[in-house]
Amino acid sequence: MSLPASTLRAVLRTPTNLRPLLLLQHRLGLQSSPRNPSSSTASYHSYDHPAPAPYPPAETAILSAALAHVPTTGFTRTALTTGLREAGYPEISLNLFPKGAFELVRYHLVTQRTQLNTRVQFPDHDSAAPISVGRKVRSLILARLRGNADAGVVGRWQEAVALMSLAENIPASLKELSLLADEMWFLAGDVSVDSSWYTKRASLAGVYAATELFQSTDQSTDFRDTEQFLDRRLEELRTVGGAVSGTIEWMGFQGGAMVNLLRSKGVRI
Amino acid sequence: MALIPSLPLKARLSPLAFQLQARQCLPSRRTLATATEPRPKTPLSKTQKEFLDRALRVNQAGELAATLIYSSQSPPINKAHPHLRPLMKHMYDQEAGHFKKFNELLAKHRVRPTAMYPVWHVAATALGWSTGALGREAAMACTEAVETEIGEHYNSQVRELLAWSDELEGRGEELGDELKVLIQDVRRIRDEELEHLDHAVENDAKEANPYELLTGVIRAGCRGAIWVSERV
Ligand SMILES: [Fe+2]
Ligand SMILES: [Fe+2]
Repeated sequence: MSLPASTLRAVLRTPTNLRPLLLLQHRLGLQSSPRNPSSSTASYHSYDHPAPAPYPPAETAILSAALAHVPTTGFTRTALTTGLREAGYPEISLNLFPKGAFELVRYHLVTQRTQLNTRVQFPDHDSAAPISVGRKVRSLILARLRGNADAGVVGRWQEAVALMSLAENIPASLKELSLLADEMWFLAGDVSVDSSWYTKRASLAGVYAATELFQSTDQSTDFRDTEQFLDRRLEELRTVGGAVSGTIEWMGFQGGAMVNLLRSKGVRI
Repeated sequence: MALIPSLPLKARLSPLAFQLQARQCLPSRRTLATATEPRPKTPLSKTQKEFLDRALRVNQAGELAATLIYSSQSPPINKAHPHLRPLMKHMYDQEAGHFKKFNELLAKHRVRPTAMYPVWHVAATALGWSTGALGREAAMACTEAVETEIGEHYNSQVRELLAWSDELEGRGEELGDELKVLIQDVRRIRDEELEHLDHAVENDAKEANPYELLTGVIRAGCRGAIWVSERV
């Protein structure tokens, strides 16, 4: 591997224990583009050749230590610096997180998403009382929101939203949101792979983002208001979504009916 | 319509020549040993994941189109030529099986379907209606054209997957079972598509008029649809 002089200088200035991280970053071409732990856009999920963990060990140590300080210091560079120090890295290594506090937000989003399958377990679908996909999605949303509460970031969530809304962070934030929606449909056991694949993910992402924002202002005990807010959104989706898909089916039906009518009149189509 | 002969389609292999070549270059005899003890597997590279992602997506779209073409062709063809009913049903049933297979694979491997799904739905149905209305020869020419492109498409996928397998074997590793099974499935499906091609030619696909225009347009359309479905 040949490194340009500038990269080499950066590597030499970096503490020895962090150099592998920097070299990795260079190899993946991550320095100019935003770093993306869920890297590839290809969604193929292999069971025999499982994908590597989203964050390498060093980053995990730093970011998880930093996240523990978010309840007190918020999604800030201060939290990140504290995390670095606690994980045993000098403050200069802050350069490794060019997006600053947003890296913390993303770390929270990625870890919560990948751990969602450990938060909720559904009985096998051939059990006595199968749970509907809709009920499963509801439980998954609530479990994911509980993740925010457990991490103690609910009171700080509006800072996270502010960071996610910065122009340069919007693509990564939306990507994470759609990955979360995909994860939820997958865990709920939904197997539809027609055009409803897109509408399902888009509407779930919308409901989730709205409910998460509502949660950050919720003063009720056990987030009971958030739960009610969620139920109202899901109900709207059910009625409006039903109307939309009903219309599409109706149009398809009309097309088919028209052809059958013409066929009965002897038109050879 | 002076533009027809200028299409580069004539330069491509004729369906039968292609078929012979396809069957020779990838003999189905070659079997892949199944794993005896589990060995640690290298994660798939980004390019490999992208390949599988695109391949499964485009295969599903193709099989969706195939089932729709047959189901919209069948009523007029069966009415005019009752003896073709069992053949049309046999081909439709195989396509429905292929479609089901790829639906399952997409859901299992979490691959998104093509965003063009509704568009292909309409286009394939219209193609089936119109070739069905043109008569038996046109319907068979449509099958011949589609299966020629599809057979070639599946062959290139098998070739790529076998290359991965060889590369891994060179490093003392092997392909995971899920990919071995995928190779077997794609091969079986390819053989069934080539069987449809035989049936089409046996049933006077070549008599369709205008044969060149019809097969040329359909084959170009297939290639375009494959290109788009891989990406969108
Ligand atoms: Fe097929
Ligand atoms: Fe076919």
